[in-house]
Amino acid sequence: MRKKEIQPPRLFQRFFSWYCDKDLLASIEGDLFELYHERLQKEGKFKADLRFIMDVIVLFRPGIIGIKDKEYKTNHMDMFRNNFKIARRTLWKNKPATIINMLGLIVGITSCMLIALFIQHEMSYDTFQPNAKRIGRVVMEYSFDGSEESSKGTFTSTKVAPVLSRTFPEVEKGIRMNQSSAILQLQGNPVTEAGFMYADSTFFDAFAYEMIQGDPTTALNGPRKVVLTESMAKKYFGEANPLGQGLEVGDDKSIYEVTGVMHDYPYNSQFRFDFLASFSSMGMNQEESYWNANYTTYLLLQDENSFAGMAEKLPPFMEKESADLGATINFTLEHFDKVHLYSPYSDFVANTNIKYLYMLAGIALLILVIVCFTYINLSTARSVERAKEVGIRKVSGAGQSQLFWQFIGESFLLCGLSVVASFIAVYFLLPSFNKLINRELILGDLMSLPFLTFTLGLTLGLSLIAGAYPAIILSKFQPMKVLKGVFKNTSSAKWLQQSLTVFQFGISVFLIIATLIVQGQLSFIQSRDLGYDREHIVSLPIGWNTDFQKINTLKKELKASSQIIEVSRAASSPVSINSGYSMNLPTRPENEVISVNANPVDENFIPATGLEVIAGTNFTEQHIRQTEIEPWEKKEFHYIMTESAADKFGWSPEEAIGKEMILNQQGTVVGVVKDFHFQSLRNDLQPLVLFSASWGGRLLVKINGENIPESLRFIEKTWEKILPERPYAYSFLDEDYDRMYQSEMQLGKLMNLFSTCAIVLACLGLFGLSSYMIQQRLKEVSIRKVLGASTFQVLNILSGNFVRLVLIAILLASPIAYYVMSSWLEDFAFHISAPWWAVMVAAVLTLGIGLITSGIHGLKAALSNPVNSLKSE
Amino acid sequence: MKRFIVWHNFLILQLGINCFVMKKYQLGEFEEVVMLTVGVLYDEAYGVSIKSEIESRLERSVSVGALQTALKRLEDKGYLKSREGESTYERVGRPKKYFQITALGKEAMQYTRQSREDLWKAIPEVAWNLKMS
Repeated sequence: MRKKEIQPPRLFQRFFSWYCDKDLLASIEGDLFELYHERLQKEGKFKADLRFIMDVIVLFRPGIIGIKDKEYKTNHMDMFRNNFKIARRTLWKNKPATIINMLGLIVGITSCMLIALFIQHEMSYDTFQPNAKRIGRVVMEYSFDGSEESSKGTFTSTKVAPVLSRTFPEVEKGIRMNQSSAILQLQGNPVTEAGFMYADSTFFDAFAYEMIQGDPTTALNGPRKVVLTESMAKKYFGEANPLGQGLEVGDDKSIYEVTGVMHDYPYNSQFRFDFLASFSSMGMNQEESYWNANYTTYLLLQDENSFAGMAEKLPPFMEKESADLGATINFTLEHFDKVHLYSPYSDFVANTNIKYLYMLAGIALLILVIVCFTYINLSTARSVERAKEVGIRKVSGAGQSQLFWQFIGESFLLCGLSVVASFIAVYFLLPSFNKLINRELILGDLMSLPFLTFTLGLTLGLSLIAGAYPAIILSKFQPMKVLKGVFKNTSSAKWLQQSLTVFQFGISVFLIIATLIVQGQLSFIQSRDLGYDREHIVSLPIGWNTDFQKINTLKKELKASSQIIEVSRAASSPVSINSGYSMNLPTRPENEVISVNANPVDENFIPATGLEVIAGTNFTEQHIRQTEIEPWEKKEFHYIMTESAADKFGWSPEEAIGKEMILNQQGTVVGVVKDFHFQSLRNDLQPLVLFSASWGGRLLVKINGENIPESLRFIEKTWEKILPERPYAYSFLDEDYDRMYQSEMQLGKLMNLFSTCAIVLACLGLFGLSSYMIQQRLKEVSIRKVLGASTFQVLNILSGNFVRLVLIAILLASPIAYYVMSSWLEDFAFHISAPWWAVMVAAVLTLGIGLITSGIHGLKAALSNPVNSLKSE
Repeated sequence: MKRFIVWHNFLILQLGINCFVMKKYQLGEFEEVVMLTVGVLYDEAYGVSIKSEIESRLERSVSVGALQTALKRLEDKGYLKSREGESTYERVGRPKKYFQITALGKEAMQYTRQSREDLWKAIPEVAWNLKMS
């Protein structure tokens, strides 16, 4: 009993007896115990324990360590070397199969890496914000009384932030933000800066920032203060100290004082800016109304749990607040960290739908599956060749597990090489991939720890999954059978090969159909008759309030050129009109308003955009001049409605002409135009009212398109003559339009790219498989030929099997693809219908590809001289 | 496979002999101390006693790890031989391993000592004149 009490630490005893050479164990252990005993008496238990542990640790050195299996001493290192050599030789010997496998793996892994990088980038949005969990973005929903429809979006008025932070204890800070482009003077020249952000000083309480110079607590206090990013500080002030300097901003060149410099804002943020100016600089009335909702509001809450409380308290509060407004307004909060992937409302930076990420991840997975299957197929097909090797190894005493690991090792070698090659491929492809998806993925992400772990996992997983089945099959061979004579593939292996081929081609069919449908929808979007003409229209931003006469002069000068057909000033281009107004009739109760979109335009808008007037007339110059009069009350407005807007009042197009209605003010309807798509095709057609106005922030120039560069030069020259104080910038309307569908376009491009990869991979697999299968049947073919079979008959026999497989694949995959893609199309209010032709195309394409790939080998076999394969046995 | 291993071992043997001839009687400082102590203790030389003998005579601490590695190395070189001895209560049944100097070991020690002495003798008298001009 006493013995147990004075034992040194058990753990280290066991550790020592584990690592110690068995020959030395007993005597050294004895020494250690003796020393321990001695020290126990002299120095006490604690010190004795400690020194025992020290001794054990110091003994852990070469010479003492001897972990080996005494009974059965296999030379692992030599076996490993031998296996490696054999693997290298087999890979080298079967060049076609190796090349197919390697190519497949490289393409597959490269695509996966690119997709993984993209997904990682998208997931990283806003993760750098320390308070991300407790910031909410305010979404406003409003509907006018008596109207069924409501509008929803991230627009809020200036009043929201102060009122909410005053009322609710959960709200710590409110941050209002607004991004606009501003005209700055750089060494006397006007420059448009798109990244000009106005924000409350609370920005620094809520969001991440890295200030280089200046005091964040006071930087945005008071109007006309601005914080620059590092690169802007360099651009405007060079090496000089920007602090306290002035920047001339806007048409009126008001001086903004630079109060700070911060590091450039991260790219993966839901807002990006180059300038951060104090919100009060805009001079907006801070608490007037809930209307004039043009700003984005973020709320910094006490903690995550406040979201639930706010969701409960906001509706009753807002019901009280909006009692006399003639409308119902409600606010909801979005989780800040979920905005980029989950929110339907893009604000400063376009969101990415999480659905697309899932789709891409799905494609990556499918590609990997195809690659794995190709490998499995080729290895099982090739197993006949390796059978003899396995037989000999077994006879010489190799165990099943040894053989299993040998083959896994082989696939690991192949995967490892491919991964290295893929890394190189990604390195070179990344710049063009970035261009394709319009992102700034960087190689640094590729080297990050999670990504490397992912790659290592991918390699291991791939080699295990791809290698396991062939390894099991091969290691199970019975040496007797193999060595005795001809060995044929087992029926189970054949069955597996066939089902894998079906699966591969099923995936290809699926991807072809999906790609065709996405492309179909995209070209539908691009070619759809929107009700207006967007070809050859140049859109130029002019100041909202730039003098009417000046713009008129510009219009006249521009029209003097024969290349310019029409010039119009309007608030928004027809591509995207998002401005909520309410309309009513003088005869109806005042609070029964109908929400409608409206666009202030001049008399040239309809001819320039080619809208079709179906009743009444266009505006006249006279109408426009009537809105120039000051004050506001004296202005006379005229309206042109779309069909569906007229229908809201129950008017037919003809009835509407001459009627009085109220938008800003009472006015006369002079015309009705056909409905047109002034918003994304995801939305339904909506009612719209065009009203005569002498203002508007956009000039639309319709050119004849015969010599576009020259027309542009002419416009620029005229612009510089008349509006030298404004920077010249232009865009084409059709490009603006395409930009609306950016995420769909990106998806389309990616789908194209990766489904091509998938199809090529499936073909490679089939190519390899058919070559081996036909090799096995070469004797059969020769005998058939000797007996008089024609080339066609032989081909029929050889390829028939593959064709059957491809047909099964088509039958299985088409309905699934059809179903999945239909649900994607549902997202669009306007979409192409039943794409049965896509199924046909996919079927014909895969069948053709399958026939050709298997036919190449079949033909070679059918045309070969039967003597060659029959003479040897 | 087997033949390969045998060939391998043969190679190692050859190489080993070559090394042996080239570096005649290689003894490190600590190894020499251990050999000498084994000689001092004569019949009582085992792990703990060697350790305490060195510690008390040379007033330096010796770790079990260093000592055991040295002993193993010396035994592998053939300078020491060992026999299993009795066990005691303190050793929890583990036998003692007594070491003894072999003839080869003696030669090695003498060689080391001789080479030292030769070196000593080779130092000219002037070298001891430490007063530098």
